Amino acid sequence: MSVRLAYLSPRRGRRAPFADLAPGHVRVEAVHEGELTRLAPDACAALLVPMHIDQRRFAAKSAWIDAFFRAGGTLVFNGLLAYPFRPELGVFEPLQRPGLSALHVRVDQSHPVWHGVDAADLTFRRGVAGFYGRGANPPPDGARVIGTLARGRVPVDWEWAVPGGGCLLMHAGNDLWMYARDDSSAAALTPQLLSWCAHGRARNAV
Amino acid sequence: MARTRPASRPTVLDGGTSYHAFAIGDESLGAWYDRRLYVETADTASLADSAVVVVPCRLNPDWLADHAGLLIDILRRGDTLVVMGETEPERWLPGAGQTPVPTNFWWWLDPEAELGLAVGAAGHGLWRYLSLADATWHYHGHFRVPPGAISVIDAPEGGSVLLDDRASWPGRLILTSLDPFYHHGSFFMPAASSFLRGFCRWLADGLPD
Repeated sequence: MSVRLAYLSPRRGRRAPFADLAPGHVRVEAVHEGELTRLAPDACAALLVPMHIDQRRFAAKSAWIDAFFRAGGTLVFNGLLAYPFRPELGVFEPLQRPGLSALHVRVDQSHPVWHGVDAADLTFRRGVAGFYGRGANPPPDGARVIGTLARGRVPVDWEWAVPGGGCLLMHAGNDLWMYARDDSSAAALTPQLLSWCAHGRARNAV
Repeated sequence: MARTRPASRPTVLDGGTSYHAFAIGDESLGAWYDRRLYVETADTASLADSAVVVVPCRLNPDWLADHAGLLIDILRRGDTLVVMGETEPERWLPGAGQTPVPTNFWWWLDPEAELGLAVGAAGHGLWRYLSLADATWHYHGHFRVPPGAISVIDAPEGGSVLLDDRASWPGRLILTSLDPFYHHGSFFMPAASSFLRGFCRWLADGLPD
């Protein structure tokens, strides 16, 4: 039986940029951001949200998002949070001193999404730092911090078991699948993210 | 001829993205607009009194294509429309002929390299507010310059990355392929922030030419 994942698209008629990287049993559907609430909250195991969405419109659908979490859904949110969609969430905080040392990424490779991904391949693309993230969306109490900037001080990636069900994976930067075509260990991140999302409902039920 | 109105600052459209929230909401840019209008609430009535309307970079091109009439009306009635980068105006604004170029994010890694943008009309008022260095990060395309319009910043391929067109419409069109709101509101690309500081002061002062 196939697992459905949804990609929230800000553009009409666009496929998810990572649709071809999904494992065989995983089906990725693009849902236009204006039609999110037409999707049954329990229809998909995960919803993947890119950085270019209308966040104000998304946050206005908080009742749907709550129902999605209660159904055990996994939400992968990319971008700088400007319109928090849960009371526990806060607005993006940029690095105070975004020098090169602050842009170095550290990741917890024990997380299945980041397994085997060399943090240097996230920090640098063609020798240039800063693509991965430049600050943090503040994690709620109880979140597991996975990726950091500024020598561990700024939580750019975290996972949070949402009270009442479901899971939120937060990445305060460019879309994680930006690295999918890179010739580096960072390319593994996208297929690992999709596999992890596909297993989300079982994991969230534990 | 552009209509004479009491001096007012622009209305800026807000697409609800994070970078619009942070760049338009950045008080360090000064009080450069009178009204910030979320696109979901924008309609003919809400734009009727605006002498200058700004379409910030990366406002959703699908929304713009769906609401082209709203924006074209601004030019037809003699007011000013400012259209910024990555908004695909070639889809919704008649006469906006854009040639996309592959974005070179990396040109500055070679110390010998230049991006190649050049000052067009050196006497244009925008240059009292910013420099060519402020406009130099990368660009995504260039526009054909309509007869009678002025290229303020030239692209190396020919065409313009920022033009001032008082000839094609009863109103005035400022058209650029630069995307400084996006970069400033994403907290990277210092040149884009410098550009935006100057550009917003120019808008606040009534776009002197």
